[in-house]
Amino acid sequence: MKRFPELSMMIRRILALAGLLLACRSSVFPEATQSPTEPVTSALRARDYDKAVELSRAALETSPENAQLWTLQGIAFASKGDNKDALAAFQRALKISPNTIAALAGAAQIEYQANSTAAVPLLNHLLQLRPEEPTAHAMLAVMEYRRGNCAAATSHFAKAGELLDSQVDALHAYATCLVKLKRMDEAVTTFQRALALRPQDPREHLVLASIQLMAKRPQDALATLEPLLQVKDVDADTLQLASTAYEDAGDTPQAVSTLRQALLLAPRNISLYLDFANICFTHESFQVGIDVITEGLSLEPKADDLYVARGVLYVQLAQYDKAEADFERAYELNPNQSLSTAAQGLAAVQANDLDHALESVQTKLARKPNDPLLLYLQADVLSQKGAEPGSPEFRLAMQSAKRAVALQPTLPAARSVLAKLYMQTGQYQEAIEQCRKALAIDPKDQTAVYRLIQALRKTGDKKELPELLQRLAQLREQATKEEKEHYRYKLFEEDTPTKQP
Amino acid sequence: MIYTRRAFMGFSLGSAVAMTAERMFGQGVVAHQAKPLARPAPSGRPFHAHFVDVGKAAGLRAPTIYGGLESKRYILESTGCGCAFIDYDNDGWMDIFLLCGTRLEGAPAEATNRLYKNNRDGTFTDVTEKAGLRAVGWASGVCIGDYNNDGFEDIFCTYFGQNILYRNNGDGTFTDVTKAAGLLNEQTRWGAGCSFFDYNRDGHLDLFVSNYIRFSIEHAPVPGANTNCNWKGVPVECGPRGLPTGRHSLYKNNGDGTFTDVSQQAGIAQATTCYGMTVVAADLDEDGWPDIYVACDSTPSLLFMNNHDGTFREEGVLRGVALSDDGEEQAGMGIGVGDYDLDGHLDLFKTHFADDANVLYHNDGKGNFDDVTRTSRVGVETRYICWGAGMVDLDNDGHPDLFMVTGNVYPEVERTLPQYANKTPRAVFRNLGNNTFEELVEAAGPGVAEAHCSRGCAFGDFDNDGDVDMLIINLNETPSLLRNDIQGKQNWIKVKLEGVKSNRSAIGARVLAHYGGKTQVQSVLSQSSFYSSNDPRLHFGLGANTLVSVDVHWPSGLVESFKHLPINQLVTLREGVGVVKNRGWSNT
Repeated sequence: MKRFPELSMMIRRILALAGLLLACRSSVFPEATQSPTEPVTSALRARDYDKAVELSRAALETSPENAQLWTLQGIAFASKGDNKDALAAFQRALKISPNTIAALAGAAQIEYQANSTAAVPLLNHLLQLRPEEPTAHAMLAVMEYRRGNCAAATSHFAKAGELLDSQVDALHAYATCLVKLKRMDEAVTTFQRALALRPQDPREHLVLASIQLMAKRPQDALATLEPLLQVKDVDADTLQLASTAYEDAGDTPQAVSTLRQALLLAPRNISLYLDFANICFTHESFQVGIDVITEGLSLEPKADDLYVARGVLYVQLAQYDKAEADFERAYELNPNQSLSTAAQGLAAVQANDLDHALESVQTKLARKPNDPLLLYLQADVLSQKGAEPGSPEFRLAMQSAKRAVALQPTLPAARSVLAKLYMQTGQYQEAIEQCRKALAIDPKDQTAVYRLIQALRKTGDKKELPELLQRLAQLREQATKEEKEHYRYKLFEEDTPTKQP
Repeated sequence: MIYTRRAFMGFSLGSAVAMTAERMFGQGVVAHQAKPLARPAPSGRPFHAHFVDVGKAAGLRAPTIYGGLESKRYILESTGCGCAFIDYDNDGWMDIFLLCGTRLEGAPAEATNRLYKNNRDGTFTDVTEKAGLRAVGWASGVCIGDYNNDGFEDIFCTYFGQNILYRNNGDGTFTDVTKAAGLLNEQTRWGAGCSFFDYNRDGHLDLFVSNYIRFSIEHAPVPGANTNCNWKGVPVECGPRGLPTGRHSLYKNNGDGTFTDVSQQAGIAQATTCYGMTVVAADLDEDGWPDIYVACDSTPSLLFMNNHDGTFREEGVLRGVALSDDGEEQAGMGIGVGDYDLDGHLDLFKTHFADDANVLYHNDGKGNFDDVTRTSRVGVETRYICWGAGMVDLDNDGHPDLFMVTGNVYPEVERTLPQYANKTPRAVFRNLGNNTFEELVEAAGPGVAEAHCSRGCAFGDFDNDGDVDMLIINLNETPSLLRNDIQGKQNWIKVKLEGVKSNRSAIGARVLAHYGGKTQVQSVLSQSSFYSSNDPRLHFGLGANTLVSVDVHWPSGLVESFKHLPINQLVTLREGVGVVKNRGWSNT
């Protein structure tokens, strides 16, 4: 989403409108009378821009403070493609008469095209004069989007209204911002508008389906994918997405079947094996997952992600040696990937060998001292080992947790362990702060809610407790429901159906 | 911008790795896991208690039948049952009552609950038939109390099926009065924990019953059927997760031998999302009214606070005893109650599943609890599935110790994963006197170190020699009777209470013993440990102290103080009367 040609066209339209307004002596310039602007306007109407420039220069010699003339000259320059002189003319007009709408629009367009932040105050000024101007809102929305300010962008996109219905890229920008703001239902609606513009484009279907999944509307996602699934040469990506939708809709058998279909089409697609492993993990069908990943590794023996995934599954079966071997292999294949090193440490934790876990994490940390995952793990393992407040181990845990949070503020687990450490030292306000930040990242974090309750209890601040207790109960209820859904199915090898009683 | 499952996988794996290990690797019965804390160096201090299993020699020769030996098809076969020390004949010697289960294929001849009369010479006689207590079924918990205030302790047994109330006739026999008392279930329920207690302080013992699971053999899934029926990849019995939770019951004693189900109006029936197990009723916030704590399996444990008006409010999460310190559910099984730090407040010790720590909760005296598992070093042990537990002074040094029995629920797992043995040792956590504990197994004697698949455990002084012995249920084995062959010359006192205005058993009374500048509190409980009932005589080790004073907070609200009581003997205190003659006790 780098360029918005459609928006540029819009701007040209507004400039044309400005020219027309000038020609009609509209209320834009209420003070205008029988003036030297008339010949310039005529030249613009005739699309004789050189003449318009020439006439405006001549007129300005006698009327240098005439904002209309400067504006017309700007329009003439802009029409010739001379943005530098056009901008200078518009700026001169605005200096004389700051509320000149056409000059504001013209200057804003040039700044916008140059991707200059100078467009923002111009557009804001324009909107002060014309609060409902959809084009200005659209331009400002795009500017804010480019600056990463999604909150402001979505506000302006919304006010741009139907103007966006012809602008696919703008709709994508709008929807992307909505996703970032976690306003998923609105994002779905916006992507649906984009799909309406390009109903035959499979990419629009895939994007919309993806967002529908994120909005936890898997049935809608399946409906969106339906036309793609009907075609004869359906591709693996579509099947993969459909598999996700089926799984999220609770139809695990169809999810597995669809994923198998995708694997037949793209047997070297690592992500498909990871998907399969994930389903197996969710449904605690660990051995099936291991077998499928092993198949993938036979085709892609250097896929470090597959080793990590298989290692995780081995851990579930308490086969720690095999798990560690897989994590080690993953690390050999890709030393920059911290997941394998972290998983290796966690496998040792799971095997109740905290010393080995700590050694493993610290060895890797020596090579990657600023890896937030490893720092978090170091803090967590030290905490689990029972480091006492005041001890060097505790200080190291606290230091590691703080660094992990600083390096990756969106790592809720690091905030969780930091909150735990604060609780142990009686720093309840700090614990409260970490819990609140963890909840801002993941509102479903039961640990954060629980610790927040306990920390607030300690501080004697009981105002929030009823709401938090209710929230925790709701989260638990929701988790139980989801767990029941997950546990509906268990995967079995096709050649061993008798295992299922 | 396609958000594929790969992204989710990356997220879930990344998150899992980034979250704690239990999130990544959790499964099966309970999600929460804890890692063993690093063990500190041994204290080197001698431990004067020494336990020897004298069960068979004492005549406890009938095995506790409970489900399959090599594998369990249903969870019904694995949770096991409790036991009790009860002086049913008021001779001053603790008799033994043992619950029993059955088998899916049918009950063997020896399958029955059993009552053993104490012969006062270290042996027991099986008087089950004579007492009218023969019963076959899937028994769970037992609680003891004199519900009709006739001076003889009665027995309530919970079952999968129908619970049973046995009235003690005072002549060595019991009568099943379940129906007459109004305690018949309308349908099959899985009664689990239970406690007699006087929630409305009218002097009559009411009854709380936790229920575990809504279960039927006909509809229960079988091993491997779904993801709740696998443990570390091994197909095992299903549950409790995935099975519907039980509903707990409060029965009000009408004072005429009958009970009324007041679960709904009391606010008990509303707690419907927990797999209830052991029940403890005690005044945890010291407001003079008994509260109820229910250890719950794989769900948040419950703490019902008494509102003084016949109703309760559930505040387990708020008060810090429902979940682990990271807010996760644990497999609550047994509960020990006592005052480990001698601050005069009742603390709680709750046992859990393997790969999780048992939790020690410190009470601030207002019923607010802090998880001190880490600082107390109790968290060094996570290997075993733990059941019966107590907070009792095993070596009479004046500092209550912790004890737990263990045993797997999946006998088939050890064939695949030898690290998860079916039979496992017991463990003592001796109190070092500085709010920390030291785990002792072999050092506490062979009775502790021997491996069994244990469940219920009751604490009491069966040989009246001034120490705490232990009675333990072992599934499909004979029970253990761990005689405490204590060494040294530590002092002690036992306090037996007799209610007058309060219920006769004085259940719910709090006794504060003051010695050596410290105060230890104990409460008369109808059930604790795992589904079990302890010797109602409260035993206080005194260490080298020779002076002890006692305050009694009777359930009626009366508070009495007794200065400089005689030590190394039992003292019987009657409400409003004072010290009275002991029944049948011979001083040692």
